[in-house]
Amino acid sequence: MSLNAETACRVFDVQRFSIHDGPGIRTTVFLAGCPLRCAFCQNPESFRPDAADLMTPRAIIAEVLKDRDYYAVSGGGLTVSGGDPLLHVAPVRALLEEARRNDLHTCVQTSGAVPEANLAAVLGLVDLFQLDLKHMDARRHRALTGASNERVLRAAAFLAERGAAVQFRMPLLPGVNDDDENLGALARFLAGLSVHALELVPYHRLYLDKYASLGLEPRLRDLQPPSAADRERVVDRLRRHGVAARIEPL
Amino acid sequence: MPLHPKNAAQKERLLRAEHWLCMERARFYTEAHRETEGQHPSLCAGRALQRVLENMTIRIEPDELLVGNRASKRIAPPIAPERGDFTFVFEHLFDDLKAFGYRIDPRDERLLFEELIPYWKGKTVRDAKIVALKERGLSSHLDVSPKELRRKLRSFGVRKLLRLVDDGAAEGVGERSVARVRRAVRLASHLPRLARAVRAGAGDNLKGRGRCTDTQAHIVLGHEKVLSLGFSGIREQARARKDRATDDGERAFLDAVEIVCDAMRAFSERFAALARGEAAETSDPARRRELESIAEACGRVPWLPPRSFAEAVQSMWFTQNAAIISYGAGSGITPGRVDQLLHPWFSADVASGALDRAHALRLLEEFVIKLNDNVVIWPNIGGVQLNHLGSDVENITLGGVDAQGDDATSELTSLFIEALGNTNLATTASFRVSKGSPRDYVRQVVAVHRKTNSPAFLNDETAIAALVRDGYSLEDARQYCLVGCVEPSGNGDTYGATGGSKVYFPSALDLVFNRGKTTFFGSQDGVDTGDPAEMRSFDELLAAFYRQLESMVEWVTEATNLRDAIWAERFHNPLISCTIAGCIERAMDMTAGGARYNFGSVGGGGLGTVVDSLAAVRRFVFEEKALTMDELREALATDFRGREGLRRRLASGPRFGNDLQEVDDLARDLVDRFCAMVSARKTFCGGRYKASLISYGLNVYEGALEPATPDGRGAGEPLSNSMSPSNGAERRGPTAVLNSLSRIDQTRIGYGNSLNMRLPLGILRSDKGVESVAHLVRAYFDKGGFHVQFNAADTATLRAAQKDPAAYADLIVRVSGYSAYFTRLGRRIQDDIIGRTELSPCH
Repeated sequence: MSLNAETACRVFDVQRFSIHDGPGIRTTVFLAGCPLRCAFCQNPESFRPDAADLMTPRAIIAEVLKDRDYYAVSGGGLTVSGGDPLLHVAPVRALLEEARRNDLHTCVQTSGAVPEANLAAVLGLVDLFQLDLKHMDARRHRALTGASNERVLRAAAFLAERGAAVQFRMPLLPGVNDDDENLGALARFLAGLSVHALELVPYHRLYLDKYASLGLEPRLRDLQPPSAADRERVVDRLRRHGVAARIEPL
Repeated sequence: MPLHPKNAAQKERLLRAEHWLCMERARFYTEAHRETEGQHPSLCAGRALQRVLENMTIRIEPDELLVGNRASKRIAPPIAPERGDFTFVFEHLFDDLKAFGYRIDPRDERLLFEELIPYWKGKTVRDAKIVALKERGLSSHLDVSPKELRRKLRSFGVRKLLRLVDDGAAEGVGERSVARVRRAVRLASHLPRLARAVRAGAGDNLKGRGRCTDTQAHIVLGHEKVLSLGFSGIREQARARKDRATDDGERAFLDAVEIVCDAMRAFSERFAALARGEAAETSDPARRRELESIAEACGRVPWLPPRSFAEAVQSMWFTQNAAIISYGAGSGITPGRVDQLLHPWFSADVASGALDRAHALRLLEEFVIKLNDNVVIWPNIGGVQLNHLGSDVENITLGGVDAQGDDATSELTSLFIEALGNTNLATTASFRVSKGSPRDYVRQVVAVHRKTNSPAFLNDETAIAALVRDGYSLEDARQYCLVGCVEPSGNGDTYGATGGSKVYFPSALDLVFNRGKTTFFGSQDGVDTGDPAEMRSFDELLAAFYRQLESMVEWVTEATNLRDAIWAERFHNPLISCTIAGCIERAMDMTAGGARYNFGSVGGGGLGTVVDSLAAVRRFVFEEKALTMDELREALATDFRGREGLRRRLASGPRFGNDLQEVDDLARDLVDRFCAMVSARKTFCGGRYKASLISYGLNVYEGALEPATPDGRGAGEPLSNSMSPSNGAERRGPTAVLNSLSRIDQTRIGYGNSLNMRLPLGILRSDKGVESVAHLVRAYFDKGGFHVQFNAADTATLRAAQKDPAAYADLIVRVSGYSAYFTRLGRRIQDDIIGRTELSPCH
């Protein structure tokens, strides 16, 4: 089959039996390309779209459908991750349309640092967005990710206003974004959107090997995962601010 | 609720107990047998068991609420010398047992070697079997001519051949050190003994490298019958049947049943008297009350039906114990559906207020601990070591549907789950799952893996369909229990001998490449299916493979029938028989065909290894033409020496377990054809054979005799286990593995298959992880899967346990349908378990 250059997806991994990327058992498709360059990025493969495989949406969905029976039992489905899958909207839209045709539950993980038009283009095709709020301070967000958080916050508001199902997440980076000031700002922002829940994604170091194998230098070589005390403190702090935070147990 | 302190103390004593060889069962049985020689085999067996039960040492341990022991020491397998498997090990590998830590009283040692072994020489099942196999030309002759020795040396290499006889010695080869010399000396000192053992053991080997053990067994006892009638009622049934007896054989069997029923009464009354005596002596009033209850219960059960939950558990334990004493250890005698069996008494006592949850849990914990009061006796062959607590698998079945097809899980099922978690021993527990099982049930069992690795999941829909296909009524099929590892069998109505006879699929390929010889034995076992180099298509190779497999199935079933005839002629078991539906009705011992349902089994080993091998030949020889059959044969015959590149290439081929249709179809066809070959064969009693795909953890040992295979597996390396993909073959995660296995019609595998999976690292920490594993089980079963079990320990933990066994003494892993203490397994089994693909951290 010939590849349509418009809708071919640059896939750098397909992860079956994903259980932390949305409800139930899922297959996560990782698309290359990202508007951000996060210091703690766990998928540095996404920086190099040329190294990814070009696949048609139909071929990807055929792979995803192999685990259809597990989605049916668990309420799972397809998760599109990255990079940021919404950076190039035509391929992801085609992929989500193909998923719709096959009655797959769809989840999209986005940085939010994409044009509003890209969000609008997939709005009706996505059952659940997962959006990361990495830092509430624009300057520190830029230091951490290479870009201001302005677009991210607008995207959050845009999705909330349109009534999209959004799960907000924050990567928990000890000493980077877990201070009271940031947590307070985060809670106020969520309250403004009438959101009261947050998923905390604890930082881990397992990805550091990937950098070595790609010949890249990780920027947060010394950052440690949150301790039990860190986790407890952050969850507690957020609760006082009216936010119910969930975190995977140690 | 945590483990009851009295049970914690009992568990501690169990874990610290010494392993002993006790000769009481062997001695009393032999004495009686000497006196009854020439009489009907049922009578000989009945009298012999009576002698044992009336004379063996009995005792009540501190803190016990349930009583009944099997030998003069806490951990001492009842030894049945008439089978010949024990005496073989004693005669040839006694030092190994001692080295492992078994102790024996010097008087017992003299008795064993001066009286018992000489008396049984030539009379045992094993001895008669070896004679019969030779007469019928079914045993494989170990060819040690210079030419064949050279061939073995080329195919296996010195190291791998040495590893067969001494695990440690092989490591020394090639080392330049003092240790090397020391090891060589040690090996040399073992050689004469080992050579004798190999010669004596070789008579046991079937053509085509098949295996047929000396024992049959693997039986679900008729506990339900004993609970409802008591042995008094069974005795009455036998007496009434005698009025209609038509010959002396029937009368002899029924007489024997009456003898063993009386012996069971005498046995329990000995305990009643002992408990009364201890009650009178103790100064602790609480313990006195307990001992008085024990005395009262033992005065009643199993002779009469129980009146309470505690008496019901006690009754089961007596019957279970006596049955294992009667058959000897290593017999896979199964309690069955314990939650179903005990439920009437549980619910009545709870309703009347006589029983609270805490006391029920305490009794169940103690019962579970006692299910681990056993060991089998195995020499350490090639690093295989299975002499751990609980290894004489007394599999308990929980959950599932009742005879009407309704879900039968209950509060008692939950209590058993709690007891398994609390005791954290290597109990083999099988959890039946049906479409009607409560939502939370599977999740609850998955969550128990946080505490222990012992549960397995079984699919009712697949098992029941398989049993009905094999001739069970739907009602009987629904009552199935798991025997041994994962073999579904009727509930107290079947004589099924589910374990013991086996063929290895890779041997069929070996026979093709060597034109009717196996590399290890080297004798002309089977037909010459032609020169592989002349084969022009993959289908031609496949046809030759199936032709060889067909012969192997023929040999193993004929051998098994010869063995079964010996049991029927010489060694009956009226105790177990009288609990099994059909035997009293037909006035016939189970070994002679008395049970309502009769089956035999043939296991198939190394499915993943052979499927990967066939797929590699198809791709690299016939499709890509990257090498010729001749080159492949040469590479296999030299264990890929100097051909590492080729070996890697072959190993990189498509593998079973990755959701690849074309490979999975090979597996599906192989299983279909194997099951058809097996079920076309008739047992000695006229039942049919059923296939299984289980490895009992022996895949390591089985692989030790198998030359290199076309999947890139080196000579002597483990075969794939059970129906699992080969170690390291799976690359696409658990759903891909399950999809591959679901392509096989598992209802055809009458005696079951097992899939051993290691869970993704850390998955059980979160509730989502637990739920997801439960969903995996559900989805697999919706797709027709039969069995799955999980090991939750990660590689780092297992490696640490290898380094510091003492600190990890209670680390339990699933081996193959049963559980074991990791640190007590042989090094090579440990490595094999570590090698089972650990799924990476979940995303």
